[in-house]
Amino acid sequence: MSELTEIGPFIASLSQGAQGNPAPTLDELMGELKIKRRPGFLRKFPSGVQTFLTNGKGVAGLIILTVFVVMAALAPLLSPFDPYRRAGKPHVQPGVEHFLGTSRQGKDIFSQLLEGGRTSLTVGFIAGISATLIGLGVGISAGYFGGKVDEVLTFFVNVALVLPALPLIIVLASFVEEASPTIIGLVLAFTGWGWSARTIRTQTLSIKSREFVLAAELMGEKKWRIIVREILPNMSSFVVGGAVLATIYGILAEAALEFIGLGSPSSVTWGTMLYWAQRSQSLQTGAWWEVWPPAVAIMVTGAALVLINFGVDEITSPQLRAARLSGRIKKFLKRRGRSVDVF
Amino acid sequence: MAFLARRLGFYFAAFMVAITLNFFLPRWMPGDPTTRIFMALRGKMRPDQMEMLKKAYGYDGSLLEQYGQYLWKLLHLDFGISTVNFPEPTSSLLFYAAGWTLFLVGVATFLSFGIGLVMGIYSAWHRGGFFDSVFTPINVMMNAFTPAVVALLLWYAFALEWAVFPLGRAHDINLVPGWNWESAVSISWHAVLPVLSIVLVNFGSWHLGMRNTMINLLNEDFVVLAKAKGLSDRRVRYRYVARNAILPQITSLALSVGFVFGGAFISEVVFNYPGLGKFTLNAIESRDYTFIQAQLTLLTCSVLIANLISDVLNVIFDPRLRTSGGH
Amino acid sequence: MFSESLMEVRNLTVDYVGETSIARAVNGISFDIRKGEAFGLAGESGCGKSTVAFALARLTRLPGLVSGGTVRFEGHDVLQFDKARLKAYRWRETSFVFQSAMNALNPVIPVAEQIMDVVETHQPELGKRGARARAVEMFELVGIPPQRLDDFPHQFSGGMRQRICIAIALALNPKLIIMDEPTTALDVVVQRDIIEQIVELKSRLGFSVLFITHDLGLMIEFCDRIGVMYSGELVEVAAASSILTAPQHPYTRALGNSFPPLTGPRQRLEGIAGSPPDLRALPQGCRFSPRCQHAMAVCAEVAPELRYYPQSEGQAACHLLQ
Repeated sequence: MSELTEIGPFIASLSQGAQGNPAPTLDELMGELKIKRRPGFLRKFPSGVQTFLTNGKGVAGLIILTVFVVMAALAPLLSPFDPYRRAGKPHVQPGVEHFLGTSRQGKDIFSQLLEGGRTSLTVGFIAGISATLIGLGVGISAGYFGGKVDEVLTFFVNVALVLPALPLIIVLASFVEEASPTIIGLVLAFTGWGWSARTIRTQTLSIKSREFVLAAELMGEKKWRIIVREILPNMSSFVVGGAVLATIYGILAEAALEFIGLGSPSSVTWGTMLYWAQRSQSLQTGAWWEVWPPAVAIMVTGAALVLINFGVDEITSPQLRAARLSGRIKKFLKRRGRSVDVF
Repeated sequence: MAFLARRLGFYFAAFMVAITLNFFLPRWMPGDPTTRIFMALRGKMRPDQMEMLKKAYGYDGSLLEQYGQYLWKLLHLDFGISTVNFPEPTSSLLFYAAGWTLFLVGVATFLSFGIGLVMGIYSAWHRGGFFDSVFTPINVMMNAFTPAVVALLLWYAFALEWAVFPLGRAHDINLVPGWNWESAVSISWHAVLPVLSIVLVNFGSWHLGMRNTMINLLNEDFVVLAKAKGLSDRRVRYRYVARNAILPQITSLALSVGFVFGGAFISEVVFNYPGLGKFTLNAIESRDYTFIQAQLTLLTCSVLIANLISDVLNVIFDPRLRTSGGH
Repeated sequence: MFSESLMEVRNLTVDYVGETSIARAVNGISFDIRKGEAFGLAGESGCGKSTVAFALARLTRLPGLVSGGTVRFEGHDVLQFDKARLKAYRWRETSFVFQSAMNALNPVIPVAEQIMDVVETHQPELGKRGARARAVEMFELVGIPPQRLDDFPHQFSGGMRQRICIAIALALNPKLIIMDEPTTALDVVVQRDIIEQIVELKSRLGFSVLFITHDLGLMIEFCDRIGVMYSGELVEVAAASSILTAPQHPYTRALGNSFPPLTGPRQRLEGIAGSPPDLRALPQGCRFSPRCQHAMAVCAEVAPELRYYPQSEGQAACHLLQ
């Protein structure tokens, strides 16, 4: 009898289990969570690129940036006027003749905007890429060689990190009469490599202790070969992320420096456009069109690069990638009346 | 304590690198400041006057003597004589301006860090939700809107068009600042837009930094264990996740101080605020090299002190740094 | 014959949701954990055994999703628990010991607080003082001097940290403790100490254990019954005493052959040829069939169900047993 009372619930539970709450099939689940298979053409790319290309933010940023780069590259063809010369009366309102109006000096704003984008983007990319290259060299050497090399290099990385960049640049630039955009770009690279060096060093340290690097060392591979073949490919997303951040920094800092008058006033960049707009008191006199175009251009470029960085961040962190799905997973649970405590 | 001693050693070394750089830069460049003044006066200065000028600015004698003299003066907080307001010492203007800049930067950093942390914690906890998907990207984008643009637009909208806030200055022109209610109101009122312009371009990075650190920590075993223990959400969020996520933020906060100073410079130019940025700009235009160099020395000191404070905070908040041999 | 079951897992399915695909890490598995028993889950790494453990404790992390099945704990479905019921379930009824004691403790708060907060949350009537007393008691139970309560995790050795985790797990005297590879990160001597201690505590306090390890020898010693998992499915559930001596499923046999016997004559160790299938490209039919030496035509077509066969006591999922 006592045995039977024990068997009873057991058998009941077995039969319950047979029908109980079956899971949807994978296809049903993919439909419910709105997960789409990767289109065929994407699968040819490395997985990091695939992740990036499936991220709406990253792709949007890339498209915006591409449009800007193309417009800047084609500036001489697209510009209706010479951006360096007077093209009309001062402060002409935007209209048919001058698409975005003219500046106080009578230069065509639209032509200046295109030409300025050419310079600003070039300087930004030069600064960003050079800073990343310096950071990459220093970071990998410090992380991979370790010991004394690491100590010395880490010291310089830390110095570069704690030196206040803008005040230092002001000193540097003030001793160079009328710093050209190229000089500003190089100075920015010289002061802006600390962050990427730090990230890359940490990354190198973690890759260095992985099996495939140890295996390559045991097989007697040359050190530079290990760095190039084993370590570099495994941190490409960190390098790209660092370069994006450094480029943002480059474009913004260049604009800031020229805005306060440290650049060469005769060059045409978004920064000098703002400088002249501020100088000629265009906001006070109602000539908003002299301020808004370069301001919006800088903001949109910055925003595009930030969006790209969101995409790159997700390549490096599976947690951030998963964050995208959490809303849909919560809905799935809610529909089944289950409490939502996904984390 | 070994940790702090090591850091202190590093800061001293970094400071030496900075001031040495500051010493050699003008000497590497073609034509030192005195030569430039000499040139600017187009022969109105006699060679013996030129020698006196060189002496006054510390450009006489051998390089080693100059360097020794430079260090000795720095030790006495003597930043040299202003090139423009000759023979006023630079330090009086420098410290006056630095006071206002530190005020702006301090308030703005406090606000942007606080706002960023609160938003970061919230959006990490509700990641993928409405607030996170909309405001995380927007806030971070504002980070890339460059101080110049943000300050100009704020100034245009709130000071010029709608005239809600004053157009510039740190306080009413007739007011002599002092420790009284009237000064406090006037100074705060004048600081709103400059502070706002710095906060707007800075809080996004704290938002993102805290959010991403928290999200990565959510996957740590100790957080899952805290959740498994049935602790309240509040306790898990603050005592387990945020408590750990804040450590790297403190370090980045100190490192970002130099960057915030940069933003403050721009705001001061736009809002005509009597801080280091505005006077540095004046100094650039009038070729007052002493001031330009002095602001670098002063700001380097400020950043190093900020880093030292962050180290002390890290030691207080992170027990792993307290025991000897911690790393 | 049947002892009462504490937890009944039926048809449990756990998926990992990717941006462009979903991997079914646990595919509809069913088993029971009885009162007072130690149930082991064995299998190669990546077979889904830890995923099961986390799902039973309602700790599935993003992007994991328990998409189906029921987990009944004393008759109530754990997966349907609301927040309030879940809070009681967590730690009062089921607690968890993690693989890495290094990461399982919050590095920046003293260990005392990490035991006390659990007591304060679930038994607020005890107050701070009572919680502290409980923490002292627990430390003594696992053999760590209570004067070390106010130390931080990094000040303890790996073995001590795992003892602290066990102390935390026992703090509310739960009915089930899930142990996910509790000794894997420790060296062999410490491993043995800790297992002996768990055995002793279990016989004294009478809790059930879900024990997960890839160390089959350790598992056979410690567990009453063992479930063998392969590629997200249970292929065999049998008494620990018979699982190696009379394995029913070819995978269990192969797994047994790849471990040295603790006693008896030396014999040649055999690995299992091939590797577990990619969860995104599973074979039709039996998932083990591509690696199985005895695979028949039907194996590649129809997936066998886990069921009892007359010739054995336990359950197995294999067409060979028909």
